[in-house]
Amino acid sequence: MANFLFYLMALGAVVGSLGVVGSKNPITSILSLLGTFFCLATIYLLSGFQFLAAAQILVYGGAVMVLFLFVVMLLNLGNPDTSAAPDFIGKRRVPIAIATSICLALLTFIGVLGQGDVQAGNASLAEVDTITGLAELLFGSFLLPFEAGSILLLSAAVAVIVLAKRERSQADKPQTSDTGEAVR
Amino acid sequence: MTVPNEHLLILAGILFAIGVGGFFLRRNLIIVLMSIELMLNAANLTFVAGSRMHSSGADPNLEGGLFAVFVIMVAAVEASVGLALVIALYRRKQTVSTASLNDLGD
Repeated sequence: MANFLFYLMALGAVVGSLGVVGSKNPITSILSLLGTFFCLATIYLLSGFQFLAAAQILVYGGAVMVLFLFVVMLLNLGNPDTSAAPDFIGKRRVPIAIATSICLALLTFIGVLGQGDVQAGNASLAEVDTITGLAELLFGSFLLPFEAGSILLLSAAVAVIVLAKRERSQADKPQTSDTGEAVR
Repeated sequence: MTVPNEHLLILAGILFAIGVGGFFLRRNLIIVLMSIELMLNAANLTFVAGSRMHSSGADPNLEGGLFAVFVIMVAAVEASVGLALVIALYRRKQTVSTASLNDLGD
C-alpha cells in the first residue's frame, strides 16, 4: 500500500512539474507547483521524515506559494505570455533545452544504475522517531548553522523591503535614464 | 515503505531535469524562479534518499533530512529575494521577461 502510494505521488510530482514548465498561464504554473510540493511532502512522510513533510507544506505550500501568487496578482501577470521570442538563441532554444534535460536525466540514470550498493541499506525509517533525532541534531551539533540561518532570514526580510520599496525620491528627480536623453 | 532507493533517486533526477528544462526554456522570470524551486526540491529528495540509504533499522541516519530542512530555509530566502527583484524589475521596465534584461547599466 505504501509502495503504491509512493508511485502515485511520484507520478503526481512529475505531472505537476511538467505543468509548471509547460503551461502558458503563470497561475496554472503556480498551482501545479503547489501540487508537486504536496506530492513530495507525502513522499517525505512515507520515507519517515514527518518534520520535513510538515516543513515542506508550511514553508512551501503556505509561504512561498502565497508569495508567488501575490506577486503574480500584484503585477497583473495572469494573462498568457505573448511576447516575441528573443533572437540570440532563436529557434534553437527549444531543442537545446530538451537536449540538456535528456542528457541530465540520462546522466542521473547511468549514475544511479552504476552505483552497485545503492540498495544495500534499505531501512524503513517509519518505525523510528525521527523528529526527536532531528531536533537533537538541529539543536546539538548543528546549532551554529541553525543560528546562521536565522540571521540569514532576518537579513533577507530587510533586503526584500529595501529592494521592493517604491523609490520616493523618483518624483523629485528629473527623469534621465528612462527617456534616454541625459540632462547634463 | 519498501521502495528501493534507486526509484527515489530516479524521481529526483526526473524532477531536476524538468527544472533545468524550464530554467532554460521559459522567459517569464517567475516561471524561471519556480523552476529553481523545483530543482531545490529534487535536491531535497536526493538528501532524503541518501538518509534512507545510510540508515539501518536501529541506527537511523538523519543528517540528510536535516540538510533538507536547511535547504528549505535557504530556498524560502531565495524565493523572497528573487520575487523582490522581479518587482523592482517590473517597476523599471514594465515586464518580467528575461529577454528585456539585455543591458548592464541603468
